[in-house]
Amino acid sequence: MSFADRLRQDFSTLTLVLIPVAIAINIAIGQLIVSLQIPIYLDSIGTVLVAALAGPWAGLATGALTNLIWGLSGINPAYTPYAIVAAVIGLLAGWFANIGWFKSVVKVAIAGLITGVVAAALSAPITALVYGGVTGTATDVIVGLLQSAGASVFGAAFGQGLVSDPLDKLATFLVAWAIIRALPMRTVARFPRAQNVTA
Amino acid sequence: MIALDAVTYTYPATAQPALREVSLSIPDGQFCAVIGANGAGKSTLCYALSGFIPHFFRGELSGRIRIDDVDTQAVTLAELVQRVGLVFQNPFNQMSGAKFTVREEVAFGLENLGVARAEMQTRIARTLERVGIADLADRSPFALSGGQQQRVAIASMLAMDPRVLVLDEPTSQLDPIGTREVFETIRALIEERGTTVVLAEHKLEWIAAFADRLVVLAHGRIVMDSSPRQVLTAPELERYHIGVPRYVQAARAAREIGLWPADRDLPVTLDEATEGFSSSSSLSSTRLDLRNSRNSGN
Amino acid sequence: MLIYLTGRSGRLHGLNPITKVMLTLVVIVCGFVLPGVWATWLVFGSIVLPLSLWGGIAGPLLRAVARITLPFAISLFVIQGLFFPGGTPILSLGPVSFKAEGLQFALLFASRLFLLSSAFMLLLLTTHPGLLMLALVQRGLPANLAYIIVATLQIVPRFQARAASILDAQRARGLETTGSLVRRLRAIVPLVGPLVLGSLVDVEERAIAIEARGFSLRRPKTSLIDIPDSRAEKGLRRGLIIAPVALIVARLAGWLR
Repeated sequence: MSFADRLRQDFSTLTLVLIPVAIAINIAIGQLIVSLQIPIYLDSIGTVLVAALAGPWAGLATGALTNLIWGLSGINPAYTPYAIVAAVIGLLAGWFANIGWFKSVVKVAIAGLITGVVAAALSAPITALVYGGVTGTATDVIVGLLQSAGASVFGAAFGQGLVSDPLDKLATFLVAWAIIRALPMRTVARFPRAQNVTA
Repeated sequence: MIALDAVTYTYPATAQPALREVSLSIPDGQFCAVIGANGAGKSTLCYALSGFIPHFFRGELSGRIRIDDVDTQAVTLAELVQRVGLVFQNPFNQMSGAKFTVREEVAFGLENLGVARAEMQTRIARTLERVGIADLADRSPFALSGGQQQRVAIASMLAMDPRVLVLDEPTSQLDPIGTREVFETIRALIEERGTTVVLAEHKLEWIAAFADRLVVLAHGRIVMDSSPRQVLTAPELERYHIGVPRYVQAARAAREIGLWPADRDLPVTLDEATEGFSSSSSLSSTRLDLRNSRNSGN
Repeated sequence: MLIYLTGRSGRLHGLNPITKVMLTLVVIVCGFVLPGVWATWLVFGSIVLPLSLWGGIAGPLLRAVARITLPFAISLFVIQGLFFPGGTPILSLGPVSFKAEGLQFALLFASRLFLLSSAFMLLLLTTHPGLLMLALVQRGLPANLAYIIVATLQIVPRFQARAASILDAQRARGLETTGSLVRRLRAIVPLVGPLVLGSLVDVEERAIAIEARGFSLRRPKTSLIDIPDSRAEKGLRRGLIIAPVALIVARLAGWLR
């Protein structure tokens, strides 16, 4: 199947309807986490869901649009530049799903950890270049500590990311996996990449 | 005209067919009601009549489905949507989410069809009037009650001028007021022009009064296909786990003990039942006896 | 969720959405290409502030921008001010001291953030998202993308409201949402079922509903709404391209330092 055909199949009407729901899940849970003052993000559950059910490109679109909409609509504009990171999370989740890692809970966990490290690495330059190394949250203390120990702005941002991202993505992937397992089979079977998640 | 010819359909990854050897031909302008227990295949039939089976659901289909002599398997779903409108149970799920006001929501289908703006405006105004939601035109589709949303869904389909309107249990998630609003809309639709209407429903009293034809589905097969009177008064109806209206049951029981006029058909509407019971002479004399016995202090 | 200020018939509200998009982009490019903190504030003071006053939205704009940039500004001044790598101390606070380079860094970044968010607020406060999407689609944005964005904008507030009411119901049943981290994390669990699973199962029906309205038809779509535009605006848009292009060229050629 050509790439264009694959894309058309991935972005079926069902996927196009799924994506807004997934973005809403991302933002609703993400905002709730912020209001409950829990120091993780959990704003990519929907992205991983879409990536597993409709492929990496749909996952990419979901991630990017989540941050763009979250930011540009005015709720939390700070997240906008991280759209690239969110997009890569969707891409990676989709690729892991394609190679069958969503069929085993252990592999899902590992996929989450790996994605977390990549996310931290990608976020660091953005935090450094756009926000001068800080996130406006309590974890900036880590940034301060690292910089006073001699780290560069970028290095400190990466350090801060490594503390939170892998754990956050691990939880995200596991929650997404649990949600897919809880969905009725007839719902899952309708999606373009259902074979990625059904044993 | 819309017809199924010996259609057997099985959903993907399912063992049992949802429709078995279903043959049904509905002429233009008819109001055909479909009843059956849950799982009998009403929704599947609605999807088949509107082209979503086989196009959206895939699965295995044998037999033919024809809409105005067009074989639905030979054309794309997009070509069918203009001919057949589909309204289903959950009003909220039918709000597209793509539009911010009811007026624009009703326009959504017309925009997809490429209708010119001037004609769109005329059709929308007319449809909003017909369905009685002109006062909601500037509200958000998500700020409405279930009954209102369902009427918006109906209006959105009607604006596209389909020859057939298929409704799959449109009132099952509505409260009594919403139910009444939707039924009144459907009734106005039938009375005014020749849209063919196929309505899958549980609320038999209403169907009995207005349907031209009543089809009973059980386990994916058509087991009865006749006038509402004949179907609802047939004694075997209970075998198909369909809640026969109480007044029919009451009248049937009354007939057996001579309290229903022998020369009268069993009622299919509540009005007929009331008339029948009040005109029954044996019933009036029983009433007289009861009153007398009460007066004598028993 | 829509921060669009409805009910205000300000002058900016009536402008064509694309005009406003271009204004925003021009402001951003100018603010970032021109060197130095002063340039950023010059752009704000000469373009954004006057426009917001003219449009009658200065108050909401400034409030929104302050709300957004304040946490960052505080973090920046504190963290980078105190811990900027290799800086020269100028003010001591006991064991730590503020560094000049750190404060300059913080000032630059805070100012840029301020300008960036004010430019977007100018657009978002005065432009209905439906109109904006329509204008973009008419200029080539894929219709499916516009659909996703608009649907998201409508679904998110309902989701947040439902999440809030589920949490309230759980709180009434004794769920703890304050206190230890674990307890707060546990507060999320009851949401997953009703909120997430229910909405995912609904996706199939929603897809059928829009298909039944011709969503996948390949023919060119028309539009009920006509977007206002004027010759003056068209001319303005053509003119607006010049300034940022000139600035970028000047910067690349090294004329701006």
